[in-house]
Amino acid sequence: MRAIDLITTALRNLQRQKLRSILTIFAVVIGATSVTIMLALVTGAKGFFISQFSANGTLQQVAVSSKTDLTKFNDNSGGGNSCDSCVKLSDDLVNKIKALPHVTGVARRLSAGAFEAIIYNGTPKLSLNQIVGYDANGILTNTMLVGRDISSNDTTGVVTVTSDYADKWGFKGHYGDLIGQPVQLLSRTWYQGVGAVITPPSNQPGDHNGPRAGTSTTLTATVVGVSDATSQSASVRAPLAWVRQMNEQQMYQQTDADRQAQQAECQGSHGPCNPQPHFTLVVTDMLATNGYDALTAKAATPANAAAVAASIRKLGVGAADAESFIQAQLQIFNIISLVLGGIGGIALAVAAIGVVNTMVMAILERTREIGVMRACGATRATIRRLFTIEAGLLGCLGGVVGVAAGYGLTYVANILINRQLLAGSVQAKNIIGLPLWLIAAVIGATTIIGMLAGLYPAFRAARLNPVEALRYE
Amino acid sequence: MSVSVELNHVTRTYRMGDETLHALDDVSLTITPGEFIAITGPSGSGKSTLANIIGGLDMPDSGSVTVDGLNLAQAHDRQLSAYRNQAIGFVFQSFNLQPNATALENVMLPLTLARMHAGPRRARAKECLEAVGLGERLRHRPTELSGGQRQRVAIARALANKPSIIIADEPTGNLDSERGGEIMKVLKRLNADGITLIIITHDLTVAAMADRILHIKDGRLTERTK
Repeated sequence: MRAIDLITTALRNLQRQKLRSILTIFAVVIGATSVTIMLALVTGAKGFFISQFSANGTLQQVAVSSKTDLTKFNDNSGGGNSCDSCVKLSDDLVNKIKALPHVTGVARRLSAGAFEAIIYNGTPKLSLNQIVGYDANGILTNTMLVGRDISSNDTTGVVTVTSDYADKWGFKGHYGDLIGQPVQLLSRTWYQGVGAVITPPSNQPGDHNGPRAGTSTTLTATVVGVSDATSQSASVRAPLAWVRQMNEQQMYQQTDADRQAQQAECQGSHGPCNPQPHFTLVVTDMLATNGYDALTAKAATPANAAAVAASIRKLGVGAADAESFIQAQLQIFNIISLVLGGIGGIALAVAAIGVVNTMVMAILERTREIGVMRACGATRATIRRLFTIEAGLLGCLGGVVGVAAGYGLTYVANILINRQLLAGSVQAKNIIGLPLWLIAAVIGATTIIGMLAGLYPAFRAARLNPVEALRYE
Repeated sequence: MSVSVELNHVTRTYRMGDETLHALDDVSLTITPGEFIAITGPSGSGKSTLANIIGGLDMPDSGSVTVDGLNLAQAHDRQLSAYRNQAIGFVFQSFNLQPNATALENVMLPLTLARMHAGPRRARAKECLEAVGLGERLRHRPTELSGGQRQRVAIARALANKPSIIIADEPTGNLDSERGGEIMKVLKRLNADGITLIIITHDLTVAAMADRILHIKDGRLTERTK
């Protein structure tokens, strides 16, 4: 029997028991739909993450921290003076990293935590966690919606803000109007950095040599750009040099010259001398004490990132590439895929049992017909093929309908996700993909499952004795 | 194709619980091409077993069945299937037509199994149905046909691959005498065209039309001369 005749005969046989065939196919549909959605979700999510990371060069980045046990790529909490025994992230270390093979550059990152609020044009102040500065050498970038990012020409007085600030200031939908506008950065009372007004100590006992309690400093900056709040953009970014100045400590100290001047006042005095204490405002760059918060090295290619991380770790600091971070992000999708895969797997197993049942029933009903076919010259192999193809068609049709249902559901899901992405100003759409290979794989798999489930009934049909089959009532 | 059939010392037994039933007991027989043979005998005597063994549907326990040089007793499934498809046409008492297929589709079955292409297959099936007087009933399903017409569809199916032997097991058993007579006329005409005709029958009138009558009782064959 020719293949085309086997298939048309098998299809006609399935049509004879429409309800039974539909019910059997329905079970396959449930399994195929679950598996389709699962695979579409996982491949779509992975593709989305990897494309996002590839687009901004994250796959080439290696995070460097003074924490030697750094495992998380996006852990910026290390550094500073939180770890006395740690190796400081100094410029000396930066130069050593730059000298390593496959390293094309290093971005230094520093944050100023002494600011509590950001104010625009007298609007209520919005809380501010920290002001972030990093080298504008293209290794770390903000995802800009309008305006420009901080550049290497900027030194002080400019910031970029994320769109959530712009939204709260009433610029939603016209972020461009915020560009060039001044904003105030309001410090905490203990701020001693650039711009802080430090009062000289008086002669009163117990007077301290820093700023007086209750006084905040306001720095004014011009907004040069609005960045994407949903990406990994810094919430308020300022030039690295300016952030370094914000971390300075200004305080009045008595220098040797002050002491000499004080002693000079009493020279020639024979009675008790009570000279005015002399103080000088000393500015200390805290970078030498604390180092940078974090460094980000850039590897020549994403493939080099792991090797670069390993060689940086040999310098006594922690280093991690983006791979581990991506894996962590994909964990949730792996869990979803396991759940859906489990449902799909169980549904497909039940469907396979349904196919076996349907085909065994078909053999009982068509025993005499099998006898007639054998009398007319059908070989055992022909009977076996016919029943295997019938079972395979049940699986195939279930797969086709399941993929169609999966396509419909992913289409709806994409519409919903696109809305969310648009609301968050993310430049991506239709992240759940249904590639051609996936469609072919699901239909192919359900067809094979159907054929495997049909093997036992098919062998049973082929083994029937033609004489007994013809006598079967 | 004209072929002779030779059975030598053919034995076929069935086990029915503890009892052994001798369906065929040392049967030897030669059928020459173009012969019309009637096999008669009481129920359970082994008539159908003999016809099934000649038709390649059943296998002897011992002895040989040689058709055109092929020993059916030692043939593989593929060879036996080809033999049934090309050399034999079966006609059954209860017609054994596929109820949901049209007359044309029923007749096309052996042609489909012979891997014939759709066009010639349809033409040949139509030709066979016209030969049995059903040229106007091609699209009818068995349920839309009378008993005699159904049996003629079965004969057309048996004719499809131009067999050299037609084996008809009680072809008139389910028909009244008038329809039975019509069927016998069709079969006689085929025999006259050179096809070997082997009919199993209880009906002595049908048996009387044959060239030879073989009588079986308890698996033993006796030949009755007319």
